Amino acid sequence: MFLSLKNLVKIFPPRGGSTEVTAVDNISLDIAKGEMITLLGPSGCGKTTTLRLIAGFEFPTRGYISLDGQRINELPPHQRDMSMVFQSYAIFPHLNVFENIAYGLNVQRVGKKELRERVAKVMALVELEGLENRAPNQLSGGQQQRVALSRALVMEPKVLLMDEPLSNLDAKLREQMRSEIRRIQQTLGITSVYVTHDQIEAMTLSDRVVVMNNGIIEQVAPPQEVYRHPQTKFVADFIGRANFISGTVKGVAGDALIATALGQTLHLTNIQKSYATGSQITLVVRPEMVHLHDQEGTYSATVRQAAYLGDKIDYQVEIRGQLLDVVESDPTRIAKIYPAGTKISASFHESCIHLLPAE
Amino acid sequence: MEEKSLATKKPGPLKRILQRRYREFVLIAQDPVLFISLMLCSIFLLVFIFYPIFQTISNGFFNTTGQFDLTYFTRFFDAYYGSQARLVFRNTMTMGLLTALGGTLLGFIFAYTLVRCDIPGRRWVHILALLPTVSPPFALSLSTILLFGRNGLITHKVLGMSFPVGSNDIYGMDGLVAVQMITFFSAAYLMLRAMLERLDPAMEEAAASMGAGRFHIFRTVTLPLLIPGIGGSILLLFVESLADLGNPLFISGNVMVLSAQIFLAISGEYNYQKASALALVLLIPTLIVFLVQRYYVSRRSYISVTGKPTGGQHKESNPWIRWTFIGITYLACLLVVTLYLGIIVGSFSTAWGTDFTPTLMWWRLMVTRGIEAILDTTFLSVLATPIAVLIGMVVASLVVRKKFSGKDVLDFGSNLGGAIPGTILGIGFVLAFSTPPMLIVILLYMVLSIFLVRSLFDKPREQLIVLALGSALGMGLSFLDGPLGLRGLYYLLGGLSIALGLYFHWGRGMKQRGQLLLLLGGYFFAYDLSDYLAMPIATLSRNISGGFWSNAIYQFATYVKVPFQLPPIFLAAGLIFGGLFFVKPEKDSWRLALAIGALAISCALTFTDAPLALVGSPFIIIAAYAVRSLPASVRAGIAALQQIDPTIEEASSILGADAQYTFRKVTLPLILPALLSGLIFSFTRHMTSVSAIIFLVNARWRIVTAAILSEWEQGGISIAAAYSTTIIIFVLIAIGLLYFVTNKLLKGQGSVDLNLGA
Repeated sequence: MFLSLKNLVKIFPPRGGSTEVTAVDNISLDIAKGEMITLLGPSGCGKTTTLRLIAGFEFPTRGYISLDGQRINELPPHQRDMSMVFQSYAIFPHLNVFENIAYGLNVQRVGKKELRERVAKVMALVELEGLENRAPNQLSGGQQQRVALSRALVMEPKVLLMDEPLSNLDAKLREQMRSEIRRIQQTLGITSVYVTHDQIEAMTLSDRVVVMNNGIIEQVAPPQEVYRHPQTKFVADFIGRANFISGTVKGVAGDALIATALGQTLHLTNIQKSYATGSQITLVVRPEMVHLHDQEGTYSATVRQAAYLGDKIDYQVEIRGQLLDVVESDPTRIAKIYPAGTKISASFHESCIHLLPAE
Repeated sequence: MEEKSLATKKPGPLKRILQRRYREFVLIAQDPVLFISLMLCSIFLLVFIFYPIFQTISNGFFNTTGQFDLTYFTRFFDAYYGSQARLVFRNTMTMGLLTALGGTLLGFIFAYTLVRCDIPGRRWVHILALLPTVSPPFALSLSTILLFGRNGLITHKVLGMSFPVGSNDIYGMDGLVAVQMITFFSAAYLMLRAMLERLDPAMEEAAASMGAGRFHIFRTVTLPLLIPGIGGSILLLFVESLADLGNPLFISGNVMVLSAQIFLAISGEYNYQKASALALVLLIPTLIVFLVQRYYVSRRSYISVTGKPTGGQHKESNPWIRWTFIGITYLACLLVVTLYLGIIVGSFSTAWGTDFTPTLMWWRLMVTRGIEAILDTTFLSVLATPIAVLIGMVVASLVVRKKFSGKDVLDFGSNLGGAIPGTILGIGFVLAFSTPPMLIVILLYMVLSIFLVRSLFDKPREQLIVLALGSALGMGLSFLDGPLGLRGLYYLLGGLSIALGLYFHWGRGMKQRGQLLLLLGGYFFAYDLSDYLAMPIATLSRNISGGFWSNAIYQFATYVKVPFQLPPIFLAAGLIFGGLFFVKPEKDSWRLALAIGALAISCALTFTDAPLALVGSPFIIIAAYAVRSLPASVRAGIAALQQIDPTIEEASSILGADAQYTFRKVTLPLILPALLSGLIFSFTRHMTSVSAIIFLVNARWRIVTAAILSEWEQGGISIAAAYSTTIIIFVLIAIGLLYFVTNKLLKGQGSVDLNLGA
């Protein structure tokens, strides 16, 4: 593997009366050349620490990191041939745009002509032409972002690291930069590790998403896989929304698993592994997998809340005492709203429901 | 899993704390930069701050024969001495309280006038308000006596007043407090001005919108918001006043205060036990106030002092109030100007009080007789400056950038040396470093040697072998200074490293490392050779007819030797770190042999020639200077580093720059203004310090402030004035240089924060 983390542990010393903190707890991860990986998780899950371990700003307490087959545990950041885009951009305030972007090339003593060409090329790539002599405090947030990005790209690094680079931008600009980063990453084929807590960024940007929680990796998979087949309750809950319903396995019928849940029998076909008859399972039912109608359905349900959002309706319905989130986004069906208190019936898209073993 | 089973066993609380500390220590040791800088700072704090203070405190409890003895504490409750002892204590507290209140009031008036009253000539008023911080502490006493004393220019000559015995003259509590108020109000002014400027006008507007009148607003909004500033300023001035030695010696007359009594216990009675006991009595209120100010008041602040100034300030609209404030401010400025002019005039007068004819006599006397003191003071101040600033910056970067427990101790300790009265530190230095403090020396050697072997070897067996062999060999070497003399030992060590250097250079073809060893050898030789270098210079000076040049050149001959004749133990510490980087790339038996060699040389240097018995050497004065100015450097460093996002340095590092490139191209340009002001203010503090070094001066190393005091005691009032003027001029030149450099060379890269000087 190109970049490989093996049984990585990072423990921070205790401070100010608190106990020591295990920020990264025995994680292993392999990243292929040219791949774009996103570390996704809530704050404090260890994603930034993992990135800083890869960068060399922190050294692992145990485990090892290798790049291109070489162990790089003790290698200081400046010898790792990586570059990084920081959340705060970390633009050198005493240098202008050109000097900022050329900083790393100057460190490498790249010749004047080549330096000029490479800086110009990368500035064109991120559409910064004409701003060479601007001081950083004369730039807008989006421009600063581009300077930070081009300063990292100009190095043609083996690995590009990005630490929530878009979190300081407003929503519109964020969307635009998101697709731009993906475009540039694809054009240049740079191996990238991207840290974010925003699942949309993770889903749209990456080849594979690494979901982290409490210092461990919950799941590594392509975006679609993470959504359709979450391996843990945490992943199912963190990526998108999910209703968890307990059920019991009754048997197998062809490709389908027969199970009972909320008093009804369901034929589930989106199954990854086999479950013994009689075992307890948890059904992961996404809000859009529930269907509400006036006529008879599988379940009888009561609407508890309804919120009209324009492109969709958010419902909360009660089935046999359990509250479920339901999203209705079919344009032909959102013209009519079921007000709270309405008795209706509900059925599940049984072929989509994902299964987890019960806890 | 092991940790969990340990936790379930529930070891005692102490054991648990120790385990946690040990684990933390192991984790810190993985970060070499943190570890080494932490170790260096801790050593400096331990040796030059905590240990001397401990010496002062404990010395008060033991008499000259070493027996436990409370004589000087029980005296406060004694029937015979009691009333006098308690009176001194009461006087001290009265002085502190009055100075604190008066100085804060004056500071507040200045701050309010400058921020809100639109005073004409703001810039000049500001500069005048800061002038007292850059002059030696007793300059104002001196000038007050010259102008308002019994034979004062104004009281006697202009107003024709005379002072029969028993009448109220300038000497005494009133004069002392007045002078201290002017000496110390600058700090109050700066603190309150910063607070007033950062007061959000919206709060006063909000009060006004609810129908509150102006005095009501001032009483219920403005004043309460300023309370932390006012409280902080009162506490600070109280401490400064208690610590002040110069002014009480000059102007307190019959009123005795603790700081002066401590000084007299040593200079008059040579009674260190009494001085130490009194020092403890002075230290306790100082320390309490210092702690309250640091951990209570400063955390109660409603106004973020680090924030940006908020928009426009309200201007005082009532002309009566405005002009009253302006009037008082102008009067105070006039007084400051008069006092400083008084010093200058005093230095040019033939015989103050009777004959005011202008003369250059005193200046001529000063540049011949006093040139040694002036040059010594400047030389030592300059040498101490980079040391203080370097340690200050390292402490600041540890405090701002790193996380470890004990950080508070580091922060506290670095401030302590400057915050306690200088006399206490001075006594501690004399007590600690008159004879070798063997306990400290052994501790130092243990820490450094264990650090060396642990960094070089993984196996405990190798570590022990190197430690034992190196120390034994070093001890053997250190006994050679008997038969060979210290100089002989240095020649031996120099010869060894030159031989090794030659071998590395040609034998193994490692040019760079060979050259380093050759340089080291040369340095060892220079210990003795610098005497031969200095000798012709000294001879030259004797051939010039006595006077300025002769004395100046003679002093220069002494200075040449200072960098080559460092106390061996300092060299030993340097060699441990140097040795570490030198030995690390070596392998196997070479590594073992070189490590033993490096340790042996360090050990020999540590224990030879009365280690750390620094009294009488210039290094003790340098250390005292550095300790005193350390807080200013730390504050400058913290202020500068807090403005730099740590990711900026990380960005440089990940772009391929190593630590020194990052420091040179990123960190340094960004902290340069703070670094420069740290340098200048440290220098200022060194040039003007009295109390900490007054007991450390000796025949070979003279200090201007001490010279002023002794001239004064002998009635040389005009030459004292000439000395004071010289110090002020030197300091002003340094500050002017700072302004020039920051404004001309570092255009727009931040401005100089004068607040750091206070």
